[in-house]
Amino acid sequence: MSDETTTTERTGAAAETPAAQGSSRMLEVTGLSAWYGEARVLTDVAIDVAPGEVVTLVGRNGAGKTTLLRSVMGLHRQIEGTISLDGTDLTRRSADARARAGIGWVPDDRGIYASLTVAENLLLPPVVHADAWPLERVYEFFPVLHERRDFPGTKLSGGEQQMLAMARVLRMGSRLLLLDEPSEGLAPVIVQRIGEIIREIKGQGVGVLLVEQNVKFASTVADRHYLLAQGKVVEHLGNDDFRARESELLTYLGM
Amino acid sequence: MSAFLQYTLQGLAAGGFYALSALGLAVIFGVLGVVNFSHGACYMLGAVISAVLLAELHVGFWVALVVVPILMFGFGVLMERLLVRWLLALDPLYNFLLTFGLTLILVEAVKQKYGVSGLPYEVPAGLGGQVSIGSVNLSVYAIFACLFSVVVCVAVGLLLTKTRIGMIVRASTEAPERTRALGINVGRWVTPVFGFGIALAGLAGVLAAPTRAITAEMGSNFIIILFAVVVIGGLGSILGAVVAGFLVGLVEAYGIAYAPTYAQIVIFVLMALVVLVRPSGLFGREEVA
Amino acid sequence: MRSRTVQGTVAIAATASLALAACGSGAGGPQSGGSGKLTDDKIVIGLLNDQSGVYKDLSGPNSKTAIELAIADYKAKYGDKAVAKTIEIVTADHQNKADVANSKAQEMYDRQKADIILDVPNSAAALAVATQAANKKKLYINIGAGTTKLTGESCNKYTFHWAYNTAMLARGTAGTITKEGGTSWNIVYPDYAFGQDMNKSFTKEVTAAGGSVGQSIASPFPSDNFATFITKAGEGSPKVIGSMHAGGDLINFVKQFNQSSLKGKAQLAVGLMFITDIHSLGVDQFAGTQFTDAWYWNFDDQNKKWADRFKEKTNTRPSFAHAANYSAAMNYLEAVQEAGTDDADAVVGKLEGKKINDVFLRNGEVRKADHAVTHDVYLAKVKSSAPEEWDYEDIVKTIPAAEAYGEANPACKMG
Repeated sequence: MSDETTTTERTGAAAETPAAQGSSRMLEVTGLSAWYGEARVLTDVAIDVAPGEVVTLVGRNGAGKTTLLRSVMGLHRQIEGTISLDGTDLTRRSADARARAGIGWVPDDRGIYASLTVAENLLLPPVVHADAWPLERVYEFFPVLHERRDFPGTKLSGGEQQMLAMARVLRMGSRLLLLDEPSEGLAPVIVQRIGEIIREIKGQGVGVLLVEQNVKFASTVADRHYLLAQGKVVEHLGNDDFRARESELLTYLGM
Repeated sequence: MSAFLQYTLQGLAAGGFYALSALGLAVIFGVLGVVNFSHGACYMLGAVISAVLLAELHVGFWVALVVVPILMFGFGVLMERLLVRWLLALDPLYNFLLTFGLTLILVEAVKQKYGVSGLPYEVPAGLGGQVSIGSVNLSVYAIFACLFSVVVCVAVGLLLTKTRIGMIVRASTEAPERTRALGINVGRWVTPVFGFGIALAGLAGVLAAPTRAITAEMGSNFIIILFAVVVIGGLGSILGAVVAGFLVGLVEAYGIAYAPTYAQIVIFVLMALVVLVRPSGLFGREEVA
Repeated sequence: MRSRTVQGTVAIAATASLALAACGSGAGGPQSGGSGKLTDDKIVIGLLNDQSGVYKDLSGPNSKTAIELAIADYKAKYGDKAVAKTIEIVTADHQNKADVANSKAQEMYDRQKADIILDVPNSAAALAVATQAANKKKLYINIGAGTTKLTGESCNKYTFHWAYNTAMLARGTAGTITKEGGTSWNIVYPDYAFGQDMNKSFTKEVTAAGGSVGQSIASPFPSDNFATFITKAGEGSPKVIGSMHAGGDLINFVKQFNQSSLKGKAQLAVGLMFITDIHSLGVDQFAGTQFTDAWYWNFDDQNKKWADRFKEKTNTRPSFAHAANYSAAMNYLEAVQEAGTDDADAVVGKLEGKKINDVFLRNGEVRKADHAVTHDVYLAKVKSSAPEEWDYEDIVKTIPAAEAYGEANPACKMG
């Protein structure tokens, strides 16, 4: 009990420090708790992401990172708390309405459709924002997708599938990307390429909420980091602090 | 050799009809995850409505071919809105049992109204008689039914592969949750797709009317063969349903030719073998662990 | 995960449904207790038949109407002198299953105190009830089933077979058609007791009349798709193709035969046909088909008069099974009247050897040796168009009882 209290206080204090990006918060999650049946997996989580900002969720397996992303997307419904985007409360909205409001989902299994071609995978979601990438731009930025546009989506390599999943939400015009472990299982050179893509997206004012186990990779792309443990935010760090404490954090996370 | 060719063509003719009949079952399972046991009863309704239209309103075969699927689409929409929808969130077994119960109600209702002996229906003018190709004879109507079925299957295939609606249906079939997360209101497509599947069952019923006994029980045996077709093809796979339809037609014809008593058992042996070797069927997607 | 689990479920369900497909709904008869010398002052007639399946229209609930007409006629005839003052009917649906028929018959004899069970179409069900009748020493008059075993291996003192059997149908149809020049046959029969029996009887009669049967093909029961069976039946270019199917199978067979290349090349002979089959398929589809009918409603004035009474109550014309139910019930009541009791042995004594002429039986006799009720039957030909609804048959000739039924079944050993 006492442990919890100190954790909350520390989080509360830290939350004020690095987020000083002005009032332009894009995603704002407050007081979020989530359950699977009787089991509570998130407790009173508060996070935010500003436009053009990359924010990571770091934590051990089972800390609640993916549940948090799914709750933001509206795929996990057994929650309390509020989720808003650009000041609009989305808590009661369905997943498809949230997607149309500008949240882009890139799941950890990439979520590529086997029964759709590469081009169809790109064209499936509706365009929801004027800043959406036209197909030509997607192909220009990801030439490999153009080359393989008529292949079934799942015939691509892991890295290509990851790019397709990201390209898909960019073509849709999502304002906030939810990236679940984009570097997982990919070769270093591909991971590097994904880092470049994230920086490109960031430059366009798109916000990114990134779940990442690869602390090194996270520190190369992110502005801020939330540490999750047992469903609570236990630390909130700017990227400089994060880098400075990298080895400590790695031990803490058991990675 | 000519006997073999004869049986092959007859098997293909029957297979085309099986493919069309199983198509709706596959479409409904694909999008809703519902194993629609009442597909056989809806097939029966399609045939019974055709017979009633002919007897009471003098509405013939060609009109029935258009009108009956439309009526059955409406019936499917009602069925989905009033019944199936409420059980979608539960284990698929609940909707299987619901549609099984519905089957018993529909069959009994038709028995009460029209008896058990069946209703008359004739081969439409111009489709009677046979054609001979060398030493092989086929009924004109069987050829028509097969070609018509193939055309419908191809049209449904094109609808699914070449249109935006088809793309959405395929995506919803493969991963409904993910498709919602990509901004598509999957629920909005559920009702029309269910109605469409039922309309296809009704269409198969119209096609069966001139050539099969139109009785309340006509779907009861048929649905079991259709289950075999979709299990062999892979539940939810449109291409699987079509290929397995022809396969079952051929296996049945050869069974009749060379071991008549076991003609139907052979189909289920084939089903058992396919399920043993490839549990998700010939064209079913293997689940990723 | 979902589709894989469901895939398995459906595979199992599909297999399990094979058994469920034939499933109908049960219907219990009303309860009644007591019996007497007139075992407690009343007669209870049990009507056990198919109330929901393929035989529903040709016997089913309308058989009860036929029995009610018999009761009314009996009461009108004897008035105050009637031995049976109170006569009740109890009914049950055997769903065409031998085990259901067996337990329903037991229930009728024991709990509902039935003095007699009538009708019981479906050969397997019929044989199950014959065993019960022998065990309980109570009467049983079968009408709806065709198996010759009822008057053969399974015959017993309390079982009578009133209307027809497969051997009679074979003599009438196979014998006549073969003699008229239809000498080469191929036969398609449904693969269950009745079909096998019909196939044997027809093969025997075709051969006896100087013809030959090229091949006998068993088809699964029930079956939708006969096109390939018909092709196979056409191998060797037979003059006659015999279909031994009944109900929905028969209609499927005839529809698909009419669309096949054999139509016009080979003559179609149907083993067992009821007027309800012609009604459902349409007279033109069957036009010219010859078959043996045990009775036809529009054969003469006597039949027509009874058929009019029947139509008043049911709004439909009677099948031969309906008329036979009337005849069986009436003659049972007459036998009770003569015996002055409903004691089964006494009633059997009155029935055995009795010669009967009534609306159903012409030159009828309850043959003592095997309890087959022999009577004149008719070779019928389906008209090409119906002058009025239900008027579908021309009676080509009357087959005298002796010719139709032959000698008593040698397999019958009355115990």
